[in-house]
Amino acid sequence: MKHITLLYLLLLLGTAKAQSPTDGLMMPKKNICNLLQYSHSSWNEYWEGTLLRKNDNLGTVRTQQLMLMSNYGITDRLNVMAALPYIWTTNDGYFQGQKGLQDISIFLKYQILQRKIAGGDFKIQTTGGASTPVSKYQNDFLPFSIGLGSKTVSLRAILNYTHKSGAYATIQAGHAWRSHAHLHRDAYLLNNILYYTDEVPVPNVVDATARLGYINKNLQVEGWYDYSTGLTGDDIRYNEAPFVGNKMEMGAVGVFAKYRIKAIAFQVGGSTVLSGRNVGKNTTISAGLLYIVDFNKKTKE
Amino acid sequence: MKHSTYIYGSIVVSALLFALVGCDKTPEQPVFEPYAETSLDLTGGTWKTYIVANGSETALPVPEATTSAAYQVELTSLKAVMAATTSEEQDLSRHWGANGVLRWHEITRELAAQYNNAPKNNPDGTYPVPDPANPTVYPRFPFANPPYTARALALLSVAHYDALVTAWHHKFLHKRLAPYRNDLSIIPLIPGNDLPSYPSEDAVIAAASREVLKFLFPGEKALLDSKSAEHKKSRLWAGANVQSDLDAGDSLGAAVAKRIIAYAKTDLMGAANKQADVPLLIADATARGITRQWTSLEKPARPPLLPFYGNVKTWNFTAAEKVALRPAAPPAFESAEFTKALDELRDISKKRTSEQYRIASFWADGTNSYTPPGHWDRKGAELIYAAQMNELRSARTMALLNTAVQDAGISCWDIKYYYLLPRPTEVDSEIKTCTGIPNFPAYTSGHSTFSGAAAEVLSYIFPASKSELKAFAHEASESRIYGCIHYRFDCEIGLSVGEKVGGYAVVRGKNDGSE
Repeated sequence: MKHITLLYLLLLLGTAKAQSPTDGLMMPKKNICNLLQYSHSSWNEYWEGTLLRKNDNLGTVRTQQLMLMSNYGITDRLNVMAALPYIWTTNDGYFQGQKGLQDISIFLKYQILQRKIAGGDFKIQTTGGASTPVSKYQNDFLPFSIGLGSKTVSLRAILNYTHKSGAYATIQAGHAWRSHAHLHRDAYLLNNILYYTDEVPVPNVVDATARLGYINKNLQVEGWYDYSTGLTGDDIRYNEAPFVGNKMEMGAVGVFAKYRIKAIAFQVGGSTVLSGRNVGKNTTISAGLLYIVDFNKKTKE
Repeated sequence: MKHSTYIYGSIVVSALLFALVGCDKTPEQPVFEPYAETSLDLTGGTWKTYIVANGSETALPVPEATTSAAYQVELTSLKAVMAATTSEEQDLSRHWGANGVLRWHEITRELAAQYNNAPKNNPDGTYPVPDPANPTVYPRFPFANPPYTARALALLSVAHYDALVTAWHHKFLHKRLAPYRNDLSIIPLIPGNDLPSYPSEDAVIAAASREVLKFLFPGEKALLDSKSAEHKKSRLWAGANVQSDLDAGDSLGAAVAKRIIAYAKTDLMGAANKQADVPLLIADATARGITRQWTSLEKPARPPLLPFYGNVKTWNFTAAEKVALRPAAPPAFESAEFTKALDELRDISKKRTSEQYRIASFWADGTNSYTPPGHWDRKGAELIYAAQMNELRSARTMALLNTAVQDAGISCWDIKYYYLLPRPTEVDSEIKTCTGIPNFPAYTSGHSTFSGAAAEVLSYIFPASKSELKAFAHEASESRIYGCIHYRFDCEIGLSVGEKVGGYAVVRGKNDGSE
């Protein structure tokens, strides 16, 4: 269930395909793209360890999110991005839903290489990022919490090939290092050991995505598969709630489409989790509005 | 471009540094160091015991004199063991040497947390019951919920205390000093003292703990054997006991544990979960005019937690005194007082503050935790360590604390199933909680009763900490209101009954010969 939030951290970036930290696109120099996106995720089954189960005491757990994201082209080869989501959760049980601003993220994306190959463009990019919680949300109330309360630093590499026909393929892989999270309590079980501290190690994460799509001046459509896993952590204890220190793992597929008319673009996305461990079997839909400003033109005018 | 490359480069470098620094993320555990006890309590062998008649009841053979050849052989063999210790064994000797009583309480709290797991329902909506005859088969036995854990900590503490009073009796009867006092070439790894070392207090603690915990956590026999063996060996590695000190201590600790287990088998805990008798309990309440009664909010509905725990034998007061501790009935549902209590929860549910969340979470001590009795056991252990008490006085403190905490649980459960008051969310489903709703009636609050009793006892033993302890108990009590799982009157009355329960243990403490 926490997964849901973890999912969020990832899907938030995964479904926001507008020149995101994980795709193969770059904003041109002195262009800024601003995205406002709504998304809705829900699950009524989750993986307790590797066991897929329901829990009538939770019913359906829903997570909704409004996210603001901006991407600015410092140069054609260097973009800076920032994202901030507002998240709220609900459930069918008697548990208080949670809401609030989650974690702010910033990224620098750099295009290392661009080559013309076989009638198309081959690009290698890398993204470095960092995130930190911006509000004191409750991270020890999974699966209703809006986040894990951990700071992260991430690095990823992106390979993209776009044929002149508009067909493209992208693969990316990343690693996120996460700081300890702090709980309000000062004793907890992890790996069957009782720790006498409020500090919980939050597992580092690796993830990888493959995308196939088509893009032209106005339209982009894409299908993708994403896999991520915590590198350490334990399983949800039998019949218990998820915990910040769990090893969360998931594989998800999704589709995405964007249509641009001049400075405005609309995008929609959908995804579903196919496999997982200590996460909700989430289905997500999202819709976003993008506004692109070209400061080059304004300067000329 | 150079500038941007520089920016990017710094991010890469900081990420790598972070990765390296963050390599080992295992949280640090508190480290306890051995200390020289503030007092040895020379008359401890005469203190009033709980289950055994007195300190001289359990016999021990007369030890070999320190001048005997047999003892000299033991010294030689001890020196050989010490010469061969590894640095890991030396660390362990300090770990166990920092008060063995407290180490076994740590082990018990960890077991409680591991076993504090409510069974998952069967597909047909019923719930399986842990079976002491098959403790490792799911659902594992025991379900170490708060009442179970309170009893486990009480039995462990009483076993330690009765066994150590007996050990002190024999120590001062035979007055055989520690090996490092009989052979000055032996340099102990822990602070030495003039406490006679036959029988070894550590072996007494190890054996009593091992046997009592095997009874309470029968699926953990291998772990308990290995911890007990390690504890005893640590005394050889430390140069603090010879083998005959340990052998005598083990037999004494095991003999006293046998008495404690015999008591536990007849304390009526075995009937505490007799679900078949719940209709009688309901009919009794109905006959007293209580018609709107608690029901389980879990899906599927779970049978109430230990409905007859209120009948379990108390430590510090009689069954009649327990009945006298019952408060008046809670406010009637339609009364102004009840509505006021409910309105407070409606407000909190709508706009719980960060501080209220913090307090609710800090004291939640729910499933997978060491429970509220474990939380107070930990607090007691921290105070004992700070006061540098010897093992006997530590055991006395823990026994007074944990018998009071179990008594608090018994009294509270008696009250809960006497009044059968529904939880706030059952009365108004708009009241949302930030912690799980316990599967038993609301009135009075268990946390409040446990905490009232614990703070009362610890304040008597550690008067300098009284204001801090009382504030803790108050916060623990309020935490259940902030969680929206208790009415204010559940908590206030629970806290006050808890203090009275604690008062009985204080009276015992003042008359046990230790002052």
